Amino acid sequence: MISDRFKKAVLKELKLANFDFTDELLANQVPGWDSLTHAKVVAALEREYKVRLKNLEILNCYNIGDLQKLIESKINPAK
Amino acid sequence: MECCENMNEIIWQRWQKNATNKASEDAIIHWIPGKDSIRWSFGNLFDAAKRFSVLLKSHGIKRDDVCALIIRHHPDFYPLYMGVAALGAIPAVLAYPNPRLHPDKFRQGIEGMSQRSGLDWILTEASLLAVLKPLVEQKGSTIKGILLPLEQDLNAFDSRDFLLPENITDNDPFLLQHSSGTTGLQKPVLISHSALLDHAIFYGEALKQTESDKVVSWLPLYHDMGLIASFHLPLIWGIPSIQINPFDWVLAPELLVEAISKENATLAWLPNFAYNLMADKIHDEDIEGYSLASLRMLINASEPIRKNSHERFVEKFKQFGFKAKSLSTLYGMAETTMAVTQTRAGQPVFEVKVDRDELSKGRVIIANYNSNARVCVSAGQLIRGCETKLVDDNMQNLGTGMVGEIAIRSVSLFDGYRNYPEKTNAVMHDGWYFSGDIGFEILGEYFIIGRKKDTIISAGKNIYPEDIEDVIGIIKGVMPGRVVAFGQDDEELGTDVLSVIAETILDGETEREHLKMDIMKAAMSIDITITNIYLVPPRWLIKSSAGKPSRNINKERILNMEKKRKGGLNDFR
Repeated sequence: MISDRFKKAVLKELKLANFDFTDELLANQVPGWDSLTHAKVVAALEREYKVRLKNLEILNCYNIGDLQKLIESKINPAK
Repeated sequence: MECCENMNEIIWQRWQKNATNKASEDAIIHWIPGKDSIRWSFGNLFDAAKRFSVLLKSHGIKRDDVCALIIRHHPDFYPLYMGVAALGAIPAVLAYPNPRLHPDKFRQGIEGMSQRSGLDWILTEASLLAVLKPLVEQKGSTIKGILLPLEQDLNAFDSRDFLLPENITDNDPFLLQHSSGTTGLQKPVLISHSALLDHAIFYGEALKQTESDKVVSWLPLYHDMGLIASFHLPLIWGIPSIQINPFDWVLAPELLVEAISKENATLAWLPNFAYNLMADKIHDEDIEGYSLASLRMLINASEPIRKNSHERFVEKFKQFGFKAKSLSTLYGMAETTMAVTQTRAGQPVFEVKVDRDELSKGRVIIANYNSNARVCVSAGQLIRGCETKLVDDNMQNLGTGMVGEIAIRSVSLFDGYRNYPEKTNAVMHDGWYFSGDIGFEILGEYFIIGRKKDTIISAGKNIYPEDIEDVIGIIKGVMPGRVVAFGQDDEELGTDVLSVIAETILDGETEREHLKMDIMKAAMSIDITITNIYLVPPRWLIKSSAGKPSRNINKERILNMEKKRKGGLNDFR
């Protein structure tokens, strides 16, 4: 399940009032999230979680759920 | 140079020559992130192409059939494409649909192409079968079948069974590329063998191309710069090209740096936004140890060239060996096969500071210290085989120091839009192609500053505002047809982003937020991202003399209003 924290960070960056996020959602299915804005959304998530997301790590994320898991693995490496 | 003489050859003969003379040398290096790349030698590639040709022939594909290839980054794509051409059939690479593109819109695009180009076959992947099948089954379809050639065992086909069709001449059509457009408005451009071979010669001269060059590209092969510059030219010149998946590059642009460094690549083409993206998004630590020193020309094309983007790129990558003198520029289009002008190899990119106000009046005056100056970056000098003239709205020649539409005559000019005589007649007059691009010339250097029509160029992609207005104009809550779409400069991204102004009677905050979301989703259904949405009250949009909302006037009006506002929502009630 996509957390509120994750959702808020993305919505704020994309200037969206609301949007339903699911684990299976692909990034480019989120309004406004495209190749041009992708870097900004990632930077917003990095700021929010104070983590560094490598592009090649993101490349292995198939969907939004994977991206959230990647962030969680950075916050709690032991899990 | 022996490799660069067009002796009424056909492309296939050139490929054959390279396969014989360079059998074991690298032809295509298919890049896969984090894994070993897949390397096609000229010999193996040619042999696989012949086997694909036999495979395709067994399904009934024959000479002059138009074959659309809708396939993701795959190592067998290249010999498959060549196999189509080897039958004398006409390959046309189409974009694999983005997941957000509505299946109906995707189908409509293919249908539009089918009606225009007389599409005969679709070569694709199993995942698209369900979407595409209705196109074949519907009454009156020109499409004879959908094939999944990459799922067949190529080893079951013997290259010795291959026979090149007889009587193919260099004037025969070789490929079909699509000039621009998002959905149904794409224009099919036919390119002959001789147009492509001549282009390889003349453009190669401008680049001072040598046997030791190596091309690297992440550009999609449905784009003319990807297909011609990064795929066909290296195959003709007999030099290697490294092919990176465009989707991978967007997420991890350092892949281009890695490939250049590991393979010592020398030539690459990028649209302007890519300079910004790479400068801003790549972390130094992720490319530690890599070098861009081998790159002798990094050529900016496909959208307006920005001085600032070049500066950012040089500043970022000089510590990784990138040389400012490697910056280069190009102006071209699908209709001229590709290039019209190019910065000469070894020469710096020419820039000029002109008076912005005079420029808007159609005059080119060098700026002085009192001027509102605009820096224009040259797209280079004419390549051999091309000539141009600047014309006014009545197609009359303009003198020097004037801004006008660029008309082009070229040995590599297209043979017209396939099955589209009215469109061909609209742009071709007395052997000149009227490009619709607005620019000027100083001392043989060409500067492109805009488009005659309202075509938006965002991230190297040409977008017709009508496409956007059509899908948004029918949304509930938007006054029917009362929408304009336009490109809005984004200095940070180094490209134009898309904006719309839509009239609505909705007044509540929640309703308006929902409407904005509906507008974004509607644009997404045609694979377009809207960055700025301006909701305005009914009768806000100013009409042009033709009775339709004017894009330019309303763009100027809304942007002036925005300038006066400080922050807040784009709410213009």
